Amino acid sequence: MLDTIIQALRSRSDLHGWTVRHVATNGAQLYAVPGAVEASRNVQIEHFVVDLLRHTPGPQGAMSAGSGTITILPGDDVGPALDTAALMAGLVHNPPYSLPRPASMPDVPVADPLQQRDAEATLARLHERLRAAVAADDRVSLAAAEFFADERSTRLLNSIEVDASQVETTLYLELALIARAGEREAEAFGEVTRRRVDDLDIEEEVRRHAQFATDSLAAGGPTAYTGPVVLRGPLLATFLNGGTLHYLSSAAAKYAKLSEWEIGQPIFRSAVEGDPLTIFANRQLAYGTHADRFDDEGLPAQRVPLIRDNVLQTFIANQRYADYLRLPPTGDFGDIELPAGATPVAELLAEPYVEIAAFSWFHPDAVTGAFASEIRLGYLCEDGKRTPFKGGALVGNVLDALANVRWSRETAFYGDYLGPTTARFGQLTVSGTGVS
Amino acid sequence: MVDWPASTFNTVDHSMASLDLPPAIAALRADLEDLVTSIERKTPYAAVLLSARQGLQITINDREEQITEQAPTAGTVLTAFDGATLHEAAIGGFDGAAIRQRARELTGGLTVRQEHLIDPGPPRRGDFVTPMQVPPDLLSTQEKLDRCRELHRRARGRDQRIVNVRVSYGETGELAVFSNRQADLAQRVQRVRLMLTVAVAGQNGVQYDWLIKAHTGGWEMLDMSDEELQAVVDGAVALLEAERIEPGDYTIVTAPGVTGTICHESFGHGVETDMFLKQRARAAHYIGEIVGSPLVNIWDDPSVPGAVGTYFFDHEGMLSEPTRIVEDGVFRRGITDLYSATALGIPRSANGRRQDFSRKTYARMSNTFFGAGTMPVEEIFAQVEHGIYLMKWSSGMEDPQGWGIQVTCHYGREIRHGKLTGRIFSPIGVSGYVPEVLQSISAVGNDLELDGGGCGKGHKEFVLAASGGPHLLLRARLG
Repeated sequence: MLDTIIQALRSRSDLHGWTVRHVATNGAQLYAVPGAVEASRNVQIEHFVVDLLRHTPGPQGAMSAGSGTITILPGDDVGPALDTAALMAGLVHNPPYSLPRPASMPDVPVADPLQQRDAEATLARLHERLRAAVAADDRVSLAAAEFFADERSTRLLNSIEVDASQVETTLYLELALIARAGEREAEAFGEVTRRRVDDLDIEEEVRRHAQFATDSLAAGGPTAYTGPVVLRGPLLATFLNGGTLHYLSSAAAKYAKLSEWEIGQPIFRSAVEGDPLTIFANRQLAYGTHADRFDDEGLPAQRVPLIRDNVLQTFIANQRYADYLRLPPTGDFGDIELPAGATPVAELLAEPYVEIAAFSWFHPDAVTGAFASEIRLGYLCEDGKRTPFKGGALVGNVLDALANVRWSRETAFYGDYLGPTTARFGQLTVSGTGVS
Repeated sequence: MVDWPASTFNTVDHSMASLDLPPAIAALRADLEDLVTSIERKTPYAAVLLSARQGLQITINDREEQITEQAPTAGTVLTAFDGATLHEAAIGGFDGAAIRQRARELTGGLTVRQEHLIDPGPPRRGDFVTPMQVPPDLLSTQEKLDRCRELHRRARGRDQRIVNVRVSYGETGELAVFSNRQADLAQRVQRVRLMLTVAVAGQNGVQYDWLIKAHTGGWEMLDMSDEELQAVVDGAVALLEAERIEPGDYTIVTAPGVTGTICHESFGHGVETDMFLKQRARAAHYIGEIVGSPLVNIWDDPSVPGAVGTYFFDHEGMLSEPTRIVEDGVFRRGITDLYSATALGIPRSANGRRQDFSRKTYARMSNTFFGAGTMPVEEIFAQVEHGIYLMKWSSGMEDPQGWGIQVTCHYGREIRHGKLTGRIFSPIGVSGYVPEVLQSISAVGNDLELDGGGCGKGHKEFVLAASGGPHLLLRARLG
């Protein structure tokens, strides 16, 4: 069918360019409830995504560009589908832009042969490991777990001779553990996404979440607090992947005048009181969950120096916005990478401080960076004691927080993040008890 | 106490209507009874769902225009229940031969157990179509584009501080055919959505506000008045001077959208009975118990005309009808999917929903709302000596086990002596313990509106759902 689509595209004279992606996904899913497997699923999907680019005269007569996207399923009529996409592309008038040119695609490891051999058996083994790990921990019981294993194969071609293929695997684990003390219960909920089984440390996830659940049982309400706040491990990755950095560094936001960042200028409005910020947008990160050989447009993976010593180096741009802003195209953002900091973790944990262990959902405003996120579990660490609390919200602004942070010397990989394991933010606020 | 007017329940047209099924789906539908029968030769329960969703998206801003499809999904779900586990095969497309082959493979190695018996429900047949005055198909793509351009033009010139205006239109047609040994059902649900976002710039950076209209129905649901446009512009401009609120406990008045989000995150997600089965919902221990002020009434109703979460039957073949979750402050029942209702031995409701055919069914909300009260909104404000009017929500997160609540509001305005002072705060996080928040409700407005939005289960499994209610007066922690 791919050949039929390409022949049909080549036979059309009304197109300036085109891209076709043939995507085939095979997946296995397993859903566990207490004492039973609720559901076992197998998923097979195949489709072709066609992007058309047309150049047509705009309202003032100048040449303009329009694109149209259509998804074709096996067995669909190709001609009418392409007509629909061409109609969409011909109705809109944007500044002209180009398609990605042929380029060397790096070999980024993103597939797990173990999972590829037998996804269902892989999930069954992971389920058994999870049950065994929970059974070995008398603090908690397993409330629910979900396992997804997907293998996605993509072949991408465009009208200027890009022809590339890749196979990716993804593993997803969701688990909920319950700790009980008399009639009181507390839950710890976690999600982990990785590319391969070897990066999924189920026993460590159980240990970590069992501790969260147990501490939640003992947690009191939040006390109002302003001061140093520590984020560690996967939660630090969540903070950095919250969306603000991705949005404000995107060429699309810059072109839409929604990002005020400028290349060569500091990203912070205020003075930097902590370590200088350096960030790479890395699509070449081995087994990174957003890594790939090429993105949906056909741009090869890069490790982009995005911010160096607080200064923006470039915008993350697909071909279109790269053309509009006259920048080199980077393709998708990928995973986030930070260099190691200068301070040992032990020094970053100098009391007093608050550590946040879990948010309900860390969801900052993408444009302004402001956030007020409910705390599922935190610790007030002072006078040699580590006192758990839950409730209230961590209040601040992502950019202000990053302008006053120290990073740990120790680093780790959390699927979508490679960098310091620990960050100590100089001053954030916990909304606690108090009456207005 | 005035709840959602009873006369509006069950007004969805369940009469036979023309579905205009695509040929591949129509051909396969004729074989579904045989397919179900063949699977049930090996297992005690079988069902088949044919599911297709496609749509159009138009986006216009100051610098670009875009027309594209909404990423379509189309496929078949074969379900075989062996007495303990649901085994499903999800196959892209509607190729009869491939589906019959997968049905044979699905049941090949199954061993029947006797743990649970699924009730296939009463006999039911029907074809259903969303009623519309201006179906999207009636307009050409060019006409839809021109309407979006006109809306963009109407908003763009309203203030010199505007740096961008974005208009986003989406239409989604969702086709579902469900079959088990008692049911032969088909529906075409049409949803439309129009969103206007206005971004402004000032000395303190960029701010923005938005208006969304999301419904089942056609273009007749999408009118935006000049007053509504100006309110969006005014909201964005006001945010240029926004402050962060001093964290603490406040008297608050919630606008209907915020009311709905509190409702959605507390006794919406909190009463999805798959979470009961997983022992992840504290509400499971409170059936028949007081969980809020006597002013609290909460419904989930997939049959509300025009609401974005409306459908005729769920993805497990249950015909839509309202569920009264909380009645006068007492928790009555949860909302169910087939598996949890069967395993728990409780009555089903029409809330078994999938993100798409590639994902499993969970107990999910449809349109969830607080019932309206009797107090005029101005009288609610008159009771506030000092408080915050939470006007617009931006996100929420559930915590069914801990009964914590997180609602993030894009902004709120200060109230003193019953009047808005002009001070505006952004963003505002609302947090608290669900029973305390619901117990603190001291007045319920006589108005009622529903907002359309997306709903996830945790951080995935997205479906469209509406939530809403009246203005409320209550206490909560803000930050």
